[in-house]
Amino acid sequence: MNATRPLPNVGMPEDPDYEEKLAQFEARIARGEKIEPGDWMPYEYRRQLIRMISQHAHSEVVGMLPEGAWITRAPTLRRKLILIAKVQDEAGHGQYLYHAAESLGVDREELIDMLLAGKAKYSSVFNYPTLTWADIGMIGWLVDGAAIKNQTMLAHCSYGPYSRAMVRICAEETFHYKQGKEMITIYAQGTPEQQRMAQDALNRWWWPALMMFGPHDTDSPNTPVLMRWGIKTKSNDTLRQEFIDEIVPEFHAIGLEIPDPELRYDEETGHWISGPIDWDEFWRVVRGNGPMNRARMAARRQAHEEGRWVREAMVAYANRQMVGDAVGVGS
Amino acid sequence: MTDTQWPRYEVFKQDKPHKPHEAVGTVHAPDPEIALQNARDVYVRRPDCYSLWVAPESAVFKMTAYELEQDPAWHVEEIPPDAPPQTYLVFTRQHHRRSMVAASHVGQVQARTPREALRRAMEQEAWTARPVYLWWIVPQAAITASQEEDVPSMFAPAQEKTYRDQSHYGGIIFGKHLQKKRQQKQKQPQEKQERSA
Amino acid sequence: MNDAQRQALAERLLALADDELILGHRDSEWTGHAPILEEDIAMANLAQDELGHAAIWYGLHQELTGQDPDRLAFQRNALDYRNVQLVELPIGDWAFTMLRQYLFDAYEMLLLTRLRESAYTPLAQAAAKMGNEEIYHYRHSSAWVQRLGLGTEESHQRMRRALGELWPYVEELFVPLPGDSLLIQAGVFPDLAELQEAWRQLVQPFLAQAQLPLPDVPALPVTRQDHTEHLIDLLADMQMVARSDPEAVW
Repeated sequence: MNATRPLPNVGMPEDPDYEEKLAQFEARIARGEKIEPGDWMPYEYRRQLIRMISQHAHSEVVGMLPEGAWITRAPTLRRKLILIAKVQDEAGHGQYLYHAAESLGVDREELIDMLLAGKAKYSSVFNYPTLTWADIGMIGWLVDGAAIKNQTMLAHCSYGPYSRAMVRICAEETFHYKQGKEMITIYAQGTPEQQRMAQDALNRWWWPALMMFGPHDTDSPNTPVLMRWGIKTKSNDTLRQEFIDEIVPEFHAIGLEIPDPELRYDEETGHWISGPIDWDEFWRVVRGNGPMNRARMAARRQAHEEGRWVREAMVAYANRQMVGDAVGVGS
Repeated sequence: MTDTQWPRYEVFKQDKPHKPHEAVGTVHAPDPEIALQNARDVYVRRPDCYSLWVAPESAVFKMTAYELEQDPAWHVEEIPPDAPPQTYLVFTRQHHRRSMVAASHVGQVQARTPREALRRAMEQEAWTARPVYLWWIVPQAAITASQEEDVPSMFAPAQEKTYRDQSHYGGIIFGKHLQKKRQQKQKQPQEKQERSA
Repeated sequence: MNDAQRQALAERLLALADDELILGHRDSEWTGHAPILEEDIAMANLAQDELGHAAIWYGLHQELTGQDPDRLAFQRNALDYRNVQLVELPIGDWAFTMLRQYLFDAYEMLLLTRLRESAYTPLAQAAAKMGNEEIYHYRHSSAWVQRLGLGTEESHQRMRRALGELWPYVEELFVPLPGDSLLIQAGVFPDLAELQEAWRQLVQPFLAQAQLPLPDVPALPVTRQDHTEHLIDLLADMQMVARSDPEAVW
């Protein structure tokens, strides 16, 4: 007996009761209530969430690749265990996020097909190559540090399943940041080669990490509606500035230089003012022309294709068991 | 044959013997045994866990308070006269706080259908003393559960992997190192003076 | 324990550790490439368990010899490793990996059960802890072998092919090290001939009901001092960063 109800394709602006329903919906959000699957929601809310959540999920899954490549090269037993656990967490986070997207009425097959067809976006930070072991530490510190800022905000999101996925992810993400910071801190005071490696990693990952916060507010058309409906509570630039202010002193404390010749501290505001971000590069990478875009997608497509016979075999076995149960045949 | 990501199973995790099972998310799995294993690998990477239940997502009947309010006739249905009563497990959420958990197990009712089970559940004063925002109704027969003897092999191992815990990365390294750097910086101006003297 | 026993035990522990290190390394190669997201997570768990076991065995070895686990794991030359060839073979397809895992998990589960009774207390304690994880490993790999053996024609053919490729390497698991007889006498380590019989009694009927009869192919006459070229490639990658500066703290 199937007890699920498909999500109603409602919430269109042309519906007769749209204005009334919208007012109720926005009042619920203002009261701090969580919107759950089955509740009325504007079509646009649902559409924005599916876009955001699936992009987030794809980012976690693709993000396994740049770090996963170094698991086989981790230099101690402890580092090996830590890196496997971290990449495993990323798979788990992708899993929680696909679950949240599925609660809005899309299937994981659809989402994966779109990613592999090049029709879905994911965080472009994962289109950069990992070239040294120190990159692994730097990704943990910088990239996961940036992710934590975003995720901490999203944990307050009005949509229940996304909020819950974020709370779970936040609880696990701090370990990612700390293990990276520990690694780089050791290398920054280590051998000359390790110090050089740490600085080089910062040089290559600094700007991609800043770009993770998205385009400037003025170039971010989605932000106003996302903030109105409690999906985002802070703008891209606000989060980016908070991140810069927190992390610059941390790198300075261990003797690393930020690769931004225009970076300066503003005494009046207490902010670290960043030089200009190269948005041409950002859009090039987002649109698929980054250094590793093609390789990442090729790897995911290969895993998917080679896994097809496995997925099908498991279903075939399960179906035969069900039939066997139904007619009373022992397995 | 269509290639799928396998059907979804809702996962319910009980952290300790005296606590209720809580809905923590879903796993994709081809059958209940793999669902239980996947649930363990996905949701019990970190302690604690004493028991795990999985049930096909399609078997879980979910209703929000808002839906109930909007459709007063939600409970109207044709119940086949020979439908046997069965046990339905009831889960609720009764707050809007930030949480990792969708709903918690409050008890069970006997009923012939999920809607009838929900009607019976809503009559339980113990469960409705505070407003309920979300109801989940799951037939007991749809649940596949871990066993008590599985605890050492399925759930205890997570406790050994302390490197997954952020508190494992203490301030020792940061503190000692920064202290050392400060001491080095303090020495340098003195050395400069001594050399130029 | 006298010197000869201590030496024999150290060699045995090194073999146990190397098996787990190399198998854990192979399993970790699937991260990001598994057939479905849930299996990326499952394989990563298996890999962590195995590397955790390696760390424990290297730790016990260190108590006897003073040798640092990371140095042993990351800085020996290939010919000095004492793992069986079964675990150094490349990951192959999913059928190959699942079946190799099953054959090894069955062996390790039975071995750890016996090691819980070891007269050498640290070994018995370690085995008790690891044995719990191994019960789950066996549950996981046997569930998969069952399903892939019986699933579709394609999965069945892949499993048969995998079994044919793996079978010659299985015997080596039960070949004793030169010092094992001393350990058996002292009640520290079990008799591998008895273990092999128990293993056969578990594995043969299980594989049979999954439509996977044991192949009629001869075992490779190799010992743990013999390795394949696959180990060279594996170690070149695994040791790359560690050996770039053997004295650095990583």
